[in-house]
Amino acid sequence: MPDRALEGLTVVECGVAGAAAYGAKLMADLGADVIKVEAPGGGDPSRALGPFPGGRPHPEKSGAFLYLNCNKQGVTLDLGRPRAQELLMRLLGRADVLIHDFPPRQAGALGLVYDRIREANPRLVMTSISPFGQDGPHRDFMAYDLTVASAGGWTWINGWPGHPEMPPLKAYGRQTAYQSGVTAAMATMGALFARLRTGRGQHIDVSAQECIASILEMTYTYWPYMETMAVRWGQRPLQPVDFFQCKDGGWVFALCIEEHQWQALVELMETPEWTTWEVAANRFVRASNWDALRPFMEEWVSQWTVDELYRAAQARRIPFAPASTLADLLHSPHLQARGFFVEVAYPQAGTLKQAGAPYKLGGTPWEIRAPAPALGQHSQAVFGGLLGLSAAELAALREEGVV
Amino acid sequence: MPGPLEGIRVADFTWVWAGPSCTLQLAHMGAEVIRMESRRRICVLRMLPPWPGGQPNPNRSGYFNQYNQGKRGITLDISKPEGREIARRIVAISDVAAENFAGGVIDRLGLGYEELRQVKPDLVMISMSGYGQTGPESPYVSYGPAQVPLSGMSQLTGYRGWPPMHVGMSYGDPNAGLHAAFAVLAALYYRQRTGKGQYIDMSQWESTMAVIGDGIMHYTMNGEHPERNGNRVPEMAPHGVFRCAPAATLPGYPEDDRWVSIACGSDAEWRAFCGVMGRAEMADDPRFRTLAGRKTSEDALEEIVAAWTITRDPFEVMELCQAAGVAAFPPQSNRELAEDPHLNARGFFVEKPHADPEVGVRKHAGMPWRMSDTPCEVWRAAPVMGQDNDYVFGELLGMSSQQVAELTERQVIY
Repeated sequence: MPDRALEGLTVVECGVAGAAAYGAKLMADLGADVIKVEAPGGGDPSRALGPFPGGRPHPEKSGAFLYLNCNKQGVTLDLGRPRAQELLMRLLGRADVLIHDFPPRQAGALGLVYDRIREANPRLVMTSISPFGQDGPHRDFMAYDLTVASAGGWTWINGWPGHPEMPPLKAYGRQTAYQSGVTAAMATMGALFARLRTGRGQHIDVSAQECIASILEMTYTYWPYMETMAVRWGQRPLQPVDFFQCKDGGWVFALCIEEHQWQALVELMETPEWTTWEVAANRFVRASNWDALRPFMEEWVSQWTVDELYRAAQARRIPFAPASTLADLLHSPHLQARGFFVEVAYPQAGTLKQAGAPYKLGGTPWEIRAPAPALGQHSQAVFGGLLGLSAAELAALREEGVV
Repeated sequence: MPGPLEGIRVADFTWVWAGPSCTLQLAHMGAEVIRMESRRRICVLRMLPPWPGGQPNPNRSGYFNQYNQGKRGITLDISKPEGREIARRIVAISDVAAENFAGGVIDRLGLGYEELRQVKPDLVMISMSGYGQTGPESPYVSYGPAQVPLSGMSQLTGYRGWPPMHVGMSYGDPNAGLHAAFAVLAALYYRQRTGKGQYIDMSQWESTMAVIGDGIMHYTMNGEHPERNGNRVPEMAPHGVFRCAPAATLPGYPEDDRWVSIACGSDAEWRAFCGVMGRAEMADDPRFRTLAGRKTSEDALEEIVAAWTITRDPFEVMELCQAAGVAAFPPQSNRELAEDPHLNARGFFVEKPHADPEVGVRKHAGMPWRMSDTPCEVWRAAPVMGQDNDYVFGELLGMSSQQVAELTERQVIY
């Protein structure tokens, strides 16, 4: 009996955008055997991204790479060469999943073509993540995270309301890679579940643009329902949903979604006069008068520290939250009690605390079993052990630059 | 071929946006999702706009209808003992139960995992509260918009020198929903092979931190908090959103609110972009030849790019750049998304008739993946309240119409 949810599954991962790496990480952390294929030389582009200790670039010390690649085995293959494509095909013959994020044209050039792969292994689930999907007029458009966030409608709604002079803005980090990565992992699990019934694999086409276009809260539907244009910071039909600075200089996020939460806030404010005004009568009215009401709220909040106000609000079941700094997170007693952060010892980057499991599965653990692989660390084990190449064959492949 | 989750039934206790985002994915894959709602406390999303004609109506919210496509909907008051008993009967014929109340609430309702596994021993159950089910803050209340600041994302996102900010949507919600759906599918896969169900304790806070993992590494490696830096990133330049020529082509736009995003990921792309701007000589300008140079002189660089874009239409810039292999795309508004020729060619949008004629057929966003052998599709628009009462109470649970009428009279079915 496996005691990890995905034990026994073999996943081959390759790509350039970080999306396949995140999808494969989610599977690796629940017990799948992930073989990560990187290009010889520079490896996964995430190795060059950082953050780096002391700000000094080093391919084995990139925070983005280390975070995304624990629990994986790493091999190198120069997929531009036919011999490497042949080896990859042999690897795929033994795998359950191929997850990659090469754009369609590049994937084709590297031999990642589903019809061919299905012949080698009809049980394989091949998941292709790309900026715009596998068909359609923009299929071969160039895109990075900023491009996808714009094409998907996200940057349009991100910015400060009332500041049309400032540009639409992307959220921190490669969020479109994370979103397409988790979507791909989920769809892959769906296909693996179907395979238990059908015995067959299939091809999954994940579009990063669509991943963003399908999560735009209520803002997208303002067009088909009301022919209303979305605005910066998204539609805010109710208030308070806003940031305020506290007396200790930190920021609190004031939020009342339901009317009873506003009533509780009024009690906490000890009913200052302005809360009885008609312009604050309900959440929609407050939203339309927010510019006028905001200064009163600002003044009231400025008498508190972030922590005092957060605790006082939550004690009355008002869903305020602090705008946490990273230091706040690492020192949070709650997150410590839940054991969220995990320490991983990396051979070259040292021991680092990092984000752990987003969920706890009661019967099957989420765990870090191994640090992220060094470039080509498992080439010997995988090509020699798993595929049975002799030491001489492997040496020849290294000589040729295939591995 | 049926969808991949054909035959799987989900007892859906979720509400607002995070939980329904999880069960939406399962519905997309062909699971029968039974969304339990009550008039006693109507789902927050039903009470939020947009509504056709701007007239509030719980059955007509575009927000609700977007994220509840393809689900069954029943009305059941689980605050009443009889309502809870019926909910248990639904769980008994389901494979998955999902909820996203604040920590501990589902247990107090008598519908926690320990109770539900009595009626369905191999149940896969997920709780997806804001803070998780353990730890001192587990009872705290939270909604997706608060997860953005709580997770640290607000402190990392924003214009340089400006306050921490939001990201334009309640990102904590859909992000939690997707991670939750992945976890549920992993647990279902495990159950199919071992016969064992299990309980999943998911924290929206933790799943939001999971997607700023590299930012957290920045802090643990160097004890520093990365500065908010607008659209700039260390590994590319130019990398920004630039103002374009004013135009009044779309009603509702401020005339000059037109922009285009441009990102050059390599020296070769920078060289190509210089050609597009008709400034080939700039590629060899010592200030801009290398990434390091472009980063050092990024203000000057952005001025040059902005001076070029300001006289042009954003989609024209996109076409010119893309023809040269340079990543460019305008920030699309909701209208531009709905009209995006590429998304329409791919069949991304879903237009199914809604049971309320005022809603009728509207263009909803569909699912962001295609499966070749077990196609996923939205079989029906989101339910109006109680749309599937007859099917679930009558057909699935075998209640007589008299029993249903009686329970409706007593506001158990409510």
